[in-house]
Amino acid sequence: MRGQIIEAIHRRMATDPDVFFLTADMGINLVEKFEESFPERFANVGIAEQNLVGVAAGLANLGYRPFAYTISNFAIHRCFEQIRNEIGIHDYPVTLLGTSTGYDNAPLGPTHHIIDEWGALKTIPEIDIYCPSSVAYAGTLVDRILAAGRPAYVRIPKGGPKIPDSTDHVVKLPGTASEVLLVSYGTPAQSCIQAQEREPRLSVLVVNRLRPLDEEAVVAMLAPHARIIVVEDHFPSTGLYGSLCELVARHPVQGRLSSLAPQDYTLEVGNSSEYFYRKYGLDVSGVLASVG
Amino acid sequence: MQVSSTEKVSATGEQTRVSPTAVRRTVLTMLHRAKASHLGSNMSVVEMLCAMYGAVDCGKIRDHAPDRSRIVVSKGHCAAATYATMAHHGVVPMSLLDTYHLDGSMLAGHVSHAVRGVEHSTGALGHGLNVAVGCALGLRSRGHSDRLVLTLVGDGEIQEGSIWEGLMFAVHLRLRNFIVLVDNNRISSITNTEKVIDMRPLTARFEGFGLNVREVDGHSVAAIAAAIAELHAAGRPGVIVCTTVKGRDVPFAEWQPMWHYKSLTDEQCAQALAHLDTLGERR
Repeated sequence: MRGQIIEAIHRRMATDPDVFFLTADMGINLVEKFEESFPERFANVGIAEQNLVGVAAGLANLGYRPFAYTISNFAIHRCFEQIRNEIGIHDYPVTLLGTSTGYDNAPLGPTHHIIDEWGALKTIPEIDIYCPSSVAYAGTLVDRILAAGRPAYVRIPKGGPKIPDSTDHVVKLPGTASEVLLVSYGTPAQSCIQAQEREPRLSVLVVNRLRPLDEEAVVAMLAPHARIIVVEDHFPSTGLYGSLCELVARHPVQGRLSSLAPQDYTLEVGNSSEYFYRKYGLDVSGVLASVG
Repeated sequence: MQVSSTEKVSATGEQTRVSPTAVRRTVLTMLHRAKASHLGSNMSVVEMLCAMYGAVDCGKIRDHAPDRSRIVVSKGHCAAATYATMAHHGVVPMSLLDTYHLDGSMLAGHVSHAVRGVEHSTGALGHGLNVAVGCALGLRSRGHSDRLVLTLVGDGEIQEGSIWEGLMFAVHLRLRNFIVLVDNNRISSITNTEKVIDMRPLTARFEGFGLNVREVDGHSVAAIAAAIAELHAAGRPGVIVCTTVKGRDVPFAEWQPMWHYKSLTDEQCAQALAHLDTLGERR
């Protein structure tokens, strides 16, 4: 999905003179084409993420639409105040592109387990938050962000799943029964989709745009279900589980919400993300076990 | 608030020679009326701000022209001095200053882009300079690299690591229009900066990062203005270390860290204004 997004930005830069691409020295064999094609609208700020956000805001002051690319935790955790002040308070249409989310960098240890970043960002009211769960949605994202003209963060998961083949912000894959609904985004959404393949009675809700949620639509999708299980590679209290708890508190949803997610950091080493998916029950077996 | 009728404001945004003493008088009145803090810095930066606004086309700033020069006040607690200097240069109406700190007004104690003419809201330190770097890069990309980007930072603020990230990048990009003015008043929040983190020799530190550095009397508008012109002509990023006195021209506040926090009593304000009267419209 990273490829679709990068391609889309590159394509838009050819026709939209306001699009500017910044990287904090990330994206080998990926971002070089920006410098080659548009040297006056590309900059590598180096290993200096606070400056990345500040420079992006300065460019936005000039009317540019900057996309700022790096590994998510470097952008968000390190630069929280820069994002709050420079982007949030100013409402600048800066897009933060964050890679290596969830357990995508599993063996690199807890500093690189990015399981708490978009929840932190959620506390800043102005920023739209996206997590494409399939290539279909990822392919539309850049145009949507540019059309919205708002501050945005894109949580980019690894891989390029084809399903769901939908460009909607929220996609429901109905099951044969209405009891259980699995709600997910990003890579764990694939575990839910595979769980549904094994157990067709399960319904799945894939959320591509984490904020804002289309409350009416989401409530309508939650309403028929007695059990709603939120599956995410992010702390639940600040993640989608937390968002849905707020939603359910405001709307007549009868279903009981539960969470399948990591609750803390771990020093354990996993050679790949699958290890942590098994550990926290985010793999197909874990999802099916939670359904019972 | 009463502002002296002798203070001339250009209705057309044309450059006017503004008296720093007149700005100080305005600032004192604002701070006193609002019972506001940060007197020390608001006094140390007055000549710097006068030189900065005097170096750019204030009409373009007031009109928000896309190709305007950018002034980013990174040490945002100099809001009263910034707003007063903007008003004396015709960027904002003088009457706006009456609303400083008032309920429902736009004039907070840190500079805010709610005020038209302010490029960027600051307050937390180590932010504005990086935004100014982005402005300088953006102006160059838009074909306006002749337009100045001036950013004002404090000598305490430069302890923030982000400042040096921005400076390295500006030097790497050879941003010829980018000039940093350091309010070297040698007091940060609670004590003297040299006791906290001794950055001397400051000019050598900036030179070591590849910047074109000048050191001037920070209470001489002419000296600062000359340094701005010289650095702009030199064609690479520059720093002007402005040697200043925190609390300048308010005798009981000069060199006193506590005047970062205190507010003026009626008697102190009267005393300070009376002292300014003895100075005349010098400099």
